[in-house]
Amino acid sequence: MKTNTVSRRKFLKRAALATTAAVAAPYMRTSYSAGKLTLGCWDHWVPGANDTLTAIVNEWGAKNHVECHIDYITSVGDKDLLTASAEAEAKTGHDIMQHRAWQVQVHRDVLEPVDDVINALVKDHGPIATISEYLAKDRHGKWKGVPTVVGSQVKPCCSRIDLYKQYCGVDVTKIFPFGDNRDQALVDSWNWDLYLSTAEKLFKGGFPVGLPMGQTSDAIDWVGALFRSYGAVFVDEKDNVTVDSAETRAALEYAQKIMKFNPPDVYAWDDAGNNKWLISGKGSSIMNPPSAWAVAKRDNIKVAEQCWTHDMPRGPKGRFAPYLPFYYGVWTFAQNKAAAMDLIHYIVDKPQAKRQVAASVGYDLPAFKSYYDFDTWKTVEPPKGTVYNYPPRGDEELSITGYPARADVAAQIYNQSLQTVMIGKVAQGGEKIDDVVKWAKNECEGYLRS
Amino acid sequence: MTAVAADTAPVIRGGSLRRSRRWALITSYVCLALFAIFFLTPPYYQLVTATKSSEEISNQNTDPWLPSFAPTSENIVNLWTKTDFPIYLRNTSIVTACVVALTMIISVPAAFALGRMRFWGSGILATGVFLTYLVPDSLLFLPLFKVVGSLGLLNSYWGLMLVYPTLTVPFCTWIMIGYFQSIPKELDEAALIDGASHLQMLFKIFIPVALPGLIAATIFAFTVSWAEFVYPMAFIFNSSQQVLTAGTITTLVKADVYQWGMIMTAALIAAAPPLILYAFLMDYYIAGLTAGATKG
Amino acid sequence: MSETIPRTLIAGKGAAPARPGSLYRLSRQRSTIAFLFALPLLVVVGGLIVYPGIYAMYLSTLNRTQTRFLGLGNYTFLLSRDTFWAVVEQSVIFAGTAVLLKALIGIVTAHLVNNLPSKGQRKWRGMLLIPWVIPLSLSTLGWFWLLDPTYSAFNWFFARIGGPHIPWLSDPMWARFCTILVNVWFGAPFFLIMYLAALKSVPQQLYEAAAIDGANAWQKLIHVTLPMMRNIISITVLYSLIVTFANYDIVRVLTSGGPRNKTHVFATWAFQLGIASGDIPLGASVSLFMFPILGISAIFILRGVRRRGKEI
Repeated sequence: MKTNTVSRRKFLKRAALATTAAVAAPYMRTSYSAGKLTLGCWDHWVPGANDTLTAIVNEWGAKNHVECHIDYITSVGDKDLLTASAEAEAKTGHDIMQHRAWQVQVHRDVLEPVDDVINALVKDHGPIATISEYLAKDRHGKWKGVPTVVGSQVKPCCSRIDLYKQYCGVDVTKIFPFGDNRDQALVDSWNWDLYLSTAEKLFKGGFPVGLPMGQTSDAIDWVGALFRSYGAVFVDEKDNVTVDSAETRAALEYAQKIMKFNPPDVYAWDDAGNNKWLISGKGSSIMNPPSAWAVAKRDNIKVAEQCWTHDMPRGPKGRFAPYLPFYYGVWTFAQNKAAAMDLIHYIVDKPQAKRQVAASVGYDLPAFKSYYDFDTWKTVEPPKGTVYNYPPRGDEELSITGYPARADVAAQIYNQSLQTVMIGKVAQGGEKIDDVVKWAKNECEGYLRS
Repeated sequence: MTAVAADTAPVIRGGSLRRSRRWALITSYVCLALFAIFFLTPPYYQLVTATKSSEEISNQNTDPWLPSFAPTSENIVNLWTKTDFPIYLRNTSIVTACVVALTMIISVPAAFALGRMRFWGSGILATGVFLTYLVPDSLLFLPLFKVVGSLGLLNSYWGLMLVYPTLTVPFCTWIMIGYFQSIPKELDEAALIDGASHLQMLFKIFIPVALPGLIAATIFAFTVSWAEFVYPMAFIFNSSQQVLTAGTITTLVKADVYQWGMIMTAALIAAAPPLILYAFLMDYYIAGLTAGATKG
Repeated sequence: MSETIPRTLIAGKGAAPARPGSLYRLSRQRSTIAFLFALPLLVVVGGLIVYPGIYAMYLSTLNRTQTRFLGLGNYTFLLSRDTFWAVVEQSVIFAGTAVLLKALIGIVTAHLVNNLPSKGQRKWRGMLLIPWVIPLSLSTLGWFWLLDPTYSAFNWFFARIGGPHIPWLSDPMWARFCTILVNVWFGAPFFLIMYLAALKSVPQQLYEAAAIDGANAWQKLIHVTLPMMRNIISITVLYSLIVTFANYDIVRVLTSGGPRNKTHVFATWAFQLGIASGDIPLGASVSLFMFPILGISAIFILRGVRRRGKEI
């Protein structure tokens, strides 16, 4: 019975896809009267990035005789979450709202399907990362958000070239070179075991790596990638709690070891903690978008000149980069839905995306692999090629903490920072791994309550 | 408690009296100095940091407790000219002034009615007012968003004036009830005999006697509206309508980048208007009081 | 204005009881006028607090997607969670300790300031008020920078004098200490103002009378000062208790509830469940959990305040 419905749904979906593809080639704009459109967009931290988006939106507005207004809403103090929740509850507010990671799933019942926009984009630019799909599709397989360029980010390693050479004899610029001439054997050698041994050497040399272990997204993100690369699944797609596994224990044991070579304060780091660690010159490596490097360029250029952004270490089950995408969503109560869809398509389309990436100095990472050839990542310096490997260019797969559980369960695994708390209990609190796994199992069972 | 010992004075003879008074005073000063150090360390640190460039702040080799070796005015200049801080300051002033006035108009007569007059259901109402604090603003903002939205006041500081009284009115009402209650009953009986109306009684007798309380309540309402954070975070998206607290943080903290020098400057500037106002208000009530009522 | 009061006071004491007729008429008028006086308050409380409050209670009885009525399901679910009990424990420790310290520091500093010669009072009052006038959200950021793991200026100072490196926010016990410290730092001046105002309004005659009866300083404090201040003390403590229980900013900025959930209080945890994880009804239930406990204590304290009004 169950398989039956699934296959029927799949069939319908495919049929729908086929019809839209047939009808909407090239992307067909639905007609709408000129009018007003309001956007609530993420307030970019890179100076000038907002202006570029405003310019893009105004161009479109002028062409289509729509008066556009953007409010830039910061994620600081969770202002974006507060505003989106309030608008969703009150059923009033902006037409287009930019949502962080889980918020599309949180608000999916009050978001308009955007399949038309997605299909048109996919047709032109190729497939979207599975994680983006997982975070944006509702239970009926409908897309409820379009992955943005602005704000979407991945958190790979950002390491000090000089310190890795001096203390470990490892040249990260050789393993992950500027250009497409990777040596697969070298890339393969960059795994969690090598990471551990280099971390130990760097720790002894007085320049520890800085892996945050607090309860904010930088910590949650890299820990999720670690667990996933060990193959630990907390709750699977079918609502089975599978956290009590050899894989989970292996990852916890590894975390216990690696935490010893971190500064003791990592348990208190917020999202700025690892940045400060790197910029201060005390740290040798962090896992972050190139914002830390960019601020170092402003405040401590000597550190910036030695920074190299590159792939995450590989685990037994693969190499995963922590991904934190943003989405544009259109409220079901929006005033001007057709225009909103059209504008979103325009913003995310390649020519405009290119300008946004340039304006963000390479911080923004679009969801389409075909966009990774933008010049920005090749030209930004110092040193030359420092963020070239920021977009995943090898065997790195995008991942988010909590995957592959059903979204509302995974959102809790993520937002209640279950995994970092587990590591904290083991590595800082000295609790037994068995007890911690048991505790996590109980927590997961709680998340499953519908 | 040593300070209170000064009151035992009349019992002791002349010479030792002066000596014990002096000692009590010295002890008072020492204790107060300790408290002052505790209270003033963070503001001092903010002041010091406000004079430094972001480069110097992130330099670990300089003493964070000493003023800058090359003091810069760039923080305050940038704050004033390159951000919307002056707008935030103006908006906050308008909102706060209106909310304080509104709060007093609502809570003083209500406190008088609930504390001195009583009517059917007044007891329940009085308690109920206070219980409203049990629903925290981090939850109340959801339904309030609906109310404000339906009035078309979203994204406007007029909407804030509507919701801030939820934070100020209950406590101010109760503080006034507390003061009105401790005024001797004979006062209003006397006034009634003199043929005063209730309104005259409130203005001519109760408000003057409860002036310290009134000023304390004003200070409270002022501070709460000046510093409120959750509501402007949720209700205001446009920086032309934003207020100081939310505006400062949303402007000066971008993702994981903090502009510490400017944040500290903003915090200190934000503290100045209330501080000046309170100094003035407290002078006024202490002068008025010691001269008149208590020494009658 | 104030000079007329003592005369009225004396007149009141001396005067014979008024004629019964006029008093009766007055008392009938009285409740209507009282109701009118309280009307604006009723409107504000009704429209902006009771309605949203009831709505919040209604929310707490729904399931995650707000499509199904669960009754007390959210509450019973919470009772079965370990994390919930940890949050209850931490909230009680946090609010209890902080309010106690704030009240003590408030009383002590109010007395100290009150005993200074009036010339010097102004300066001290101003200085001690400063923590309370800096908006909490901004001063907490300042504290956060002072306690920062990498840049902590305290640790810089300790390192200078050869002291230890204190894990301010990364060790659960220190982190708890820091959240309480910041709360006390911010809140104590509020108690100072309230108590100072109350001290100023204790009639000097009462102390003179007590002195004639041969009371010492301690007896004056116990028998004159504290009874006269009782209303204000109870209201202030109650308010502070509730607000401290519901505090969001400090914990959110300093620790986000970490390390290991050890510093989560009701409001931060409710936010995490409700807004961040998308289960608004469950978040509402957490927030409302403190309602019964604090509600009962509030009813008793406030009743005491009103009783004392009758006695006087």
